[in-house]
Amino acid sequence: MRRKVLWARLGRVPYGEALELQRDLHRLRCREEIGDLVLSLEHEPVITLGRSADPRHVLADPAALLARGVEVYQTERGGDVTYHGPGQLVLYPIIDLRDWSRGLRWYVWALEEVMLRAAAAYGVNAARIPGRPGIWVGREKLGAVGVYVRRWVTMHGLALNVDPDPDGFRWIVPCGVHGAGATSLARVLGRPVGIRDAEGKAMEAFGEVFGAHVVEIRPEHIGTVNVG
Amino acid sequence: MADIVVPPLGGVEEVRVVRWLREVGDEVHAGEAVAEVEAEKATFVIEAPVGGRLYAILVPEGKTAAPGDVIGKIEEASG
Repeated sequence: MRRKVLWARLGRVPYGEALELQRDLHRLRCREEIGDLVLSLEHEPVITLGRSADPRHVLADPAALLARGVEVYQTERGGDVTYHGPGQLVLYPIIDLRDWSRGLRWYVWALEEVMLRAAAAYGVNAARIPGRPGIWVGREKLGAVGVYVRRWVTMHGLALNVDPDPDGFRWIVPCGVHGAGATSLARVLGRPVGIRDAEGKAMEAFGEVFGAHVVEIRPEHIGTVNVG
Repeated sequence: MADIVVPPLGGVEEVRVVRWLREVGDEVHAGEAVAEVEAEKATFVIEAPVGGRLYAILVPEGKTAAPGDVIGKIEEASG
């Protein structure tokens, strides 16, 4: 039987607000007060530094970022420096990996696989590069992975560049890889791509890769609906 | 004395200790997060197996370890 995973679309959410929500849901999931769920959203412009981030990989100076309303966050996820902003699809699965009998390596692979399949649904052929987590089109990054796991319950997740403002990526060295720029589905296709459409395709891919039955719920029901 | 061990992580052969959340001598509670290790863009939290005092850090921040390795020791609380 396919495991049920609840899915809530949150729309555009400031980074700090989404982080607080994830921490609350992570705590509830650890206590088994809620079942597995995935949040899908876009962030307001923000630069985040993972646990192994080199602050020199933020290229723009703090005053310039502040003037543009771009926040900077130190986070607990794995990885280096990442930009998030409108037009980028973010998925935050809060799932207990023990229930899926899966380890850390598979989980990172699975998040990449979700993005590869979502890209393929648009006819975009992206690939993995050994030693560089995420998905790539040529030498340019299309999607990023950054995960945090405590008591086998996950937080953070993936970010797929659907149709973001390319300027955001000029403020950082993406994931600490010099000379590797960022690209997006819209840039590869040469046409706009809607975030809601990409969201649907990504969650379809999530269901396939995880062998899950994805059930959409309204955001106001997050944390109150239990999975049977 | 209780060992703080990197658990089997499923296919991961090596992790890097990115952060110790407690210092040697600090009191720790069972189940409290004491260290974070990273592999393949994933941070994994290591919790104290027992309550007591952090007695030794065997693998410092920035160094690597393998699942099964003892990265620290806890002197168990008496009584």
